[in-house]
Amino acid sequence: MKYKVLVIIIAAILAAGIIGSIAVINSTDKSTVRVLSDGKEIYRADLRTAQDTVFDVEYQGHVNTVEVRDHQIRVQSADCPDQTCVHMSWLKSSATPVVCLPHRLVIEYADSSDDVDAVTG
Amino acid sequence: MSEHTKRLTQLAVLTALSLIIFAVEMQIPNPFPIPGIKLGLANIITVYAVYHYKAHEVAAVVAARLILGSVFSGNMSALIYSASGAFLCLAGMLLLKRVIDEDHLWIASVFGAVLHNTGQMAAALLILRTPSLLIYYPFLLVSGCLAGAFTGACAQLVTHRLKGWKR
Repeated sequence: MKYKVLVIIIAAILAAGIIGSIAVINSTDKSTVRVLSDGKEIYRADLRTAQDTVFDVEYQGHVNTVEVRDHQIRVQSADCPDQTCVHMSWLKSSATPVVCLPHRLVIEYADSSDDVDAVTG
Repeated sequence: MSEHTKRLTQLAVLTALSLIIFAVEMQIPNPFPIPGIKLGLANIITVYAVYHYKAHEVAAVVAARLILGSVFSGNMSALIYSASGAFLCLAGMLLLKRVIDEDHLWIASVFGAVLHNTGQMAAALLILRTPSLLIYYPFLLVSGCLAGAFTGACAQLVTHRLKGWKR
């Protein structure tokens, strides 16, 4: 009987750990985004506080229009032939950044856990 | 052979064994980049000793393991984290030993592992004074439960096999 109680406590600790881990994974990634053009960062914002905005990113005469709206970010339109970046729509996870290969444009979540790792070394 | 010498020798063998396990585990690459997450196979010996030796004897084995282990790994600065974890774990297991019998050793081991990670985390928070370190704690809890259950199961096996070795 008492072992049942102890095993339940263990299960509770494990569940708390798993839930906490999932919460941490989801929260640390999904706040700060950055836009890279040809490897250079040209825009960085915290999506939770970012103002809605639309701006053009130029690369060798080609233009991608990036839109920030309702705490999300996407490529609104592009003058590239394949339109993959437009079809990817809103940036969803750090595993799938929005990329426009012909114009060397990347929209991704900035790794916000950098500063924590720097402390622990 | 006097009883005292016999016990001393057995404790020395346990210390040597846990050091060997520790050194071997050091060579296994850790797939997780978070400090504090590891199997802690050397704790098989700790768990075994908790159930078969007196409190101060186990403490001596653990202390010797910690100090020699940090010398071998060349990581003296990690000693304070592992020591605070190990002794919180030891204190908790010595208490749990009164409640949990040997056949349910793995339960005590899980609590010990979780306490170990808690002690490490507390030491890290005190030393680094960085509250954001706490985001590691959930991961440590999960790894503590799994690693503790594993080492506990191993210790149970050892206990079973070693019946009759120590009279």
